[in-house]
Amino acid sequence: MTETDSITLQVNGEQRRIDAALHDTLLTVLRDRLQLTAAKRGCNQGVCGACTVQIDGESMRACLSLAHNCEGADVRTLEGLGAEPRMRALQQAFAAAGAFQCGFCTPGMLVSAQALLEKNADPDDAAVRTALSGNLCRCTGYVKIIAAVRAAAAALHPEGGSAALPAGAQGTAR
Amino acid sequence: MAPLHGLYRPRTVDEAVGLLAEDDEARLLAGGATLVAMLNARVIEPTALISLRFIDEIKGIAKLSDGTLRIGAFTRHRETAASALLLGSSGVIRDAASQIANATVRNMGTIGGSVAFADPGLDYPPALVAAGALIELASKEGRRTVAASEFFVDWYTTALQPGEMVTGVLLRPSNGGAGVYVKHARVAGDYATASAAVCLEADGRCRVAIGACGPAPLADPAIDAALSGDLSDAALATAADRLAAAADPLDDVRGSADYRRRLIAPLLRRAVRAAEAALQRGRARAAARR
Repeated sequence: MTETDSITLQVNGEQRRIDAALHDTLLTVLRDRLQLTAAKRGCNQGVCGACTVQIDGESMRACLSLAHNCEGADVRTLEGLGAEPRMRALQQAFAAAGAFQCGFCTPGMLVSAQALLEKNADPDDAAVRTALSGNLCRCTGYVKIIAAVRAAAAALHPEGGSAALPAGAQGTAR
Repeated sequence: MAPLHGLYRPRTVDEAVGLLAEDDEARLLAGGATLVAMLNARVIEPTALISLRFIDEIKGIAKLSDGTLRIGAFTRHRETAASALLLGSSGVIRDAASQIANATVRNMGTIGGSVAFADPGLDYPPALVAAGALIELASKEGRRTVAASEFFVDWYTTALQPGEMVTGVLLRPSNGGAGVYVKHARVAGDYATASAAVCLEADGRCRVAIGACGPAPLADPAIDAALSGDLSDAALATAADRLAAAADPLDDVRGSADYRRRLIAPLLRRAVRAAEAALQRGRARAAARR
């Protein structure tokens, strides 16, 4: 027997009213109730990063977030980020670089990479590796993924990204 | 076991400890990085959860009027890792925060959640012991503080009493000291196989603590006294031998107990030498300003 309750979540800018059990994670609600299936259920333990979404502008694990505890928060999934210029550049760069094998980790990689590019317009390899360190690719295609993120940054700021942010703003949290 | 029947959203610590006093099977939900993973795996089946997300008084890092730094329990690792307030030897806390798991988990996890969970492989416990931090606690009966060296009692066991919650961490101001946390892990983002935290004050006082080599951080005031004023290779070797003899490490997938004991000397030496270098850099900067 499980108690469910109606909650209102703000997902991709829209208010959505959903019935959810108290133990339901945001991932369960996104995938099974709202049919937003870009976030993947990999480990359900917060290890693999396939379920990464943005909550209040920060990349977080949907599988480690209880849906009921997300009321009032701004939840963005890959579906809702697709039109954002950085995400479009990332998607194009991933396709151009062939930064896929099975593709299961890709949505999480993209959401984490987009959060990185919002804070750091011209990340070096180390910054990309750090930002993606919570996203596992079990096909081990990391080299092309890192190259794709850097290519997306270059495409967004062809003049060299360092000029795109004021001095001192690189890599700092918002 | 009764199903999860409530998620409470208190706005104050008093409200939260009131709820905790009414239901001792309720659990406090901070960042969720560990607790929700345990719920998903059905390792724990609490009757109710008390969300700490809406309690402003346990968020953020602030300097109190007497100079003490307070890190609220609901401060995420990301914020602690980037704090400009954690100067001098308090930098050991920032250093530890920046090495926890990965960027996404650092966006979620909180210092209160970490210290209350007290997994011996975590990064904060040895850093807090080396920093001489106080853990700030609240219950319906009132507030108290416990020294970090006494807070971590055993495997996953702390000085927290039933009905009590962690509300923050208090750090003494450090004037011109340096703090360094060195972690050895199989891959970046893993729990520590072993770790060393060192706080070196400008007057030569030194405090060290070793992580992941027993049920609680390894530290000994007598070892700190011996190292204060003598950081020679010989003194460090003696300290490492004594810490290794006192260690009670696990034999697990991250390393054998013997391997972990052998890690203590190099990690301690690396952390102490890095702290000395940071102290020198700080002195050079201060001299340049004069």
